[in-house]
Amino acid sequence: MKARFLMVFVILALLMAGCGAGETPTGGGAAAPTNTTAAGGGAAEPTAQPGGSGLSGEISIGAVWSLSGAAAIYGPSQKNAAELAVEEINNSGMLGDAKIRLITEDDRSTKEGAIAAFEKLINQDQVVAILGPTLSNSAKAADPIAQEKGIVVLGVSNTASGITEIGNFIFRDSLPESDVIPNTIRVTKEALGYQKVAVMYGEDDAFTKSGYDVFKQALEDNGIEILTTETFAKGDVDFSAQLTKIKGLNPDAIVVSALAEEAANIMVQARQLGIPETVRFIGGNGFNSPKLAQIAGPAAEGAISGAAWFIGNDTPGNKAFVEAYRAKYGSDPDQFAAQAYAGVYILANAIKNAGSKDPQAIRDAMAQIKDLPTVLGTFSFNENRDPVHEPVVQVVRNGKFEVFTGNE
Amino acid sequence: MEQLPQQLINGIWQGAALALFAMGYTLVFGVLDIINLAHGATYMWGAFFAFVCITRLDWPLWAAIPAAMIGAGLLAVVLDRLAFKPLRTLTSGGLVLWVGFIVLLLGLIGAWSPGLKWTLTLSGAAIMLGGIVQDYAAIRPLRVRHVPHLAPMISSIGASIILISLAQGIFGAQVSRFPPDIFPSKPYTLPGNAVIAPIQLLVLGIALALMVVLHLLIARTQMGRAIRGIAWSERTARLLGINVDLVVAQTFFLSGALAGAAGVLLGLAFNRLDPFMGNEVELAGLTVIIVGGMGSIGGAAVAAFLVGMLRVLSVGYIDSSFRDAFVFALLILVLLVRPSGIFGRGSSVRA
Repeated sequence: MKARFLMVFVILALLMAGCGAGETPTGGGAAAPTNTTAAGGGAAEPTAQPGGSGLSGEISIGAVWSLSGAAAIYGPSQKNAAELAVEEINNSGMLGDAKIRLITEDDRSTKEGAIAAFEKLINQDQVVAILGPTLSNSAKAADPIAQEKGIVVLGVSNTASGITEIGNFIFRDSLPESDVIPNTIRVTKEALGYQKVAVMYGEDDAFTKSGYDVFKQALEDNGIEILTTETFAKGDVDFSAQLTKIKGLNPDAIVVSALAEEAANIMVQARQLGIPETVRFIGGNGFNSPKLAQIAGPAAEGAISGAAWFIGNDTPGNKAFVEAYRAKYGSDPDQFAAQAYAGVYILANAIKNAGSKDPQAIRDAMAQIKDLPTVLGTFSFNENRDPVHEPVVQVVRNGKFEVFTGNE
Repeated sequence: MEQLPQQLINGIWQGAALALFAMGYTLVFGVLDIINLAHGATYMWGAFFAFVCITRLDWPLWAAIPAAMIGAGLLAVVLDRLAFKPLRTLTSGGLVLWVGFIVLLLGLIGAWSPGLKWTLTLSGAAIMLGGIVQDYAAIRPLRVRHVPHLAPMISSIGASIILISLAQGIFGAQVSRFPPDIFPSKPYTLPGNAVIAPIQLLVLGIALALMVVLHLLIARTQMGRAIRGIAWSERTARLLGINVDLVVAQTFFLSGALAGAAGVLLGLAFNRLDPFMGNEVELAGLTVIIVGGMGSIGGAAVAAFLVGMLRVLSVGYIDSSFRDAFVFALLILVLLVRPSGIFGRGSSVRA
């Protein structure tokens, strides 16, 4: 009797725990907004020719951000940056007599929320284009709706694979990890000359797992030996067993595919266990949050990551963008902000070039965007509507990200 | 082999952390035959109580830890009244308590003006207090129920969801952290090139101390005798004049206080608090109390070290992807070979 009860308890509890774990909004995974690249051309758009396009009235653009729920750390800076860009464009007269009206919706970090937001924006607000949604997961669910209705979608933070494959109306300005990571490995290997590394990644998260796959390939391509591959799960807080094992193998560097929270704890515990500071941490997009250095403090010093944008970038209009953002919101923009800001400018340029509010004409103009100066760099779409621009490699110095120069 | 000393320390430390969580978990089961799946939520709230004390009220750490234990203990008592007691005996006070709870929830989550929000929240809390007093004073319950074993467990799942959502509403879903340097972080070096952080030593010390205290409490005091009496047979205990309601409340308080201590200490050790922090430890904790023998406090302690060591050594010497597989293999093995757990003694002599 007793034993049977226990069995039932255990099975139920395991089931429940399983479901629960899937939902933990620790900011992770698949949902992670991963991307980074966009660029806004922003303040560097002095070529606006008022009145040149024959546009007039209001042009409604939708924006779907994760302003609440698991990804709420990413959505607000996207919202801020997009509003800043719209304000600048409307004040500059870049679209002639026409003004952009930005309609922002919160998808609550869920697929259902994103679908509902897309339905509302397309059917009720009659928007000509949609920015977002924040998460790749949501994009996969909601983008097909816009594709079917023939409305342009510009993802500004989706880095997972399979986004633009949804259809010819789906674009993104966020560099996928598969572009950023190989560049990071190549540049840092040249500069630091590491030969053997240990790898750690979150195994139960689509974003960190796909980051690991790209890292593995890039490490092999560069002839770097992987001493060991250690895994952890979402929500883990104690990495000491994995790190103790890694310490015993004496790697030259540790490659980590994790979100900022976990990555920070890994760094702290690694230094505490006595892994020397000469052993660098190398990561992907998950590192690219000011939180990394805030949380890990001195343990984050020297950590290297690839990114699509960097606050000190010498790209067109970047300085003006950073200053305007700081002045308006009192904080530094992050990569998500930069990509959203660039996204608005890319879209506005396409509308200007199309000279029309017709979604099909805007789509065709989007596909033609080439060598546009943006805060992300000189920006083009490739034939798959994915972004093409130069990624950056950054390193944590004195608690801040700086461009990795190699001579250190 | 050079990593062995460090891995042993990692394992002992993980075991201590788990033991702290699992002792309160197993205590409630031993007395009431309830698996309280809201234990993880109580643990999380314990951590957040300390967080509020330290970051909003500027209390020192040594004051915040007992405050969090008391807060989490009281939370567990309220939880019993809300989620478990009405399933045993329903009183009019229990209904009042529920009304108060709903008013409190409305106050906390509704988009009211600040004045109305506080009025609702405080009057909800006052009604709840009145409900508890009335519930406690009730001589003749409205109904004495004999619910199946699963009902309280389902009820505790609901309680857990409410507590987690509340924390998410108040503190947000993002990770909160204690101020850095609240506790010295410079690790001590031990023989064998192993290191241990001061907070890890503190957790180990507190876990061992609480194990001894809890054991003495159960084995040597009047309250412990009453707890064991109820664990044996609630009806007999009642006939012998034991105030069952009071003892159950004491048991929940103890269990909650232990969860609260675990929450603060582990929150400090990893400096990471979020509303979902209870979910992960809950599953490991459940494994521990089943392996140790449901209701056996000593068993939970031993099993916690066993599970901690197993996890660490499987990462260190086999493959980190299989760390949980070994733990659950142990669980299944124990259930097959000795369903009452390593230290379980059948259902009649627990606690």
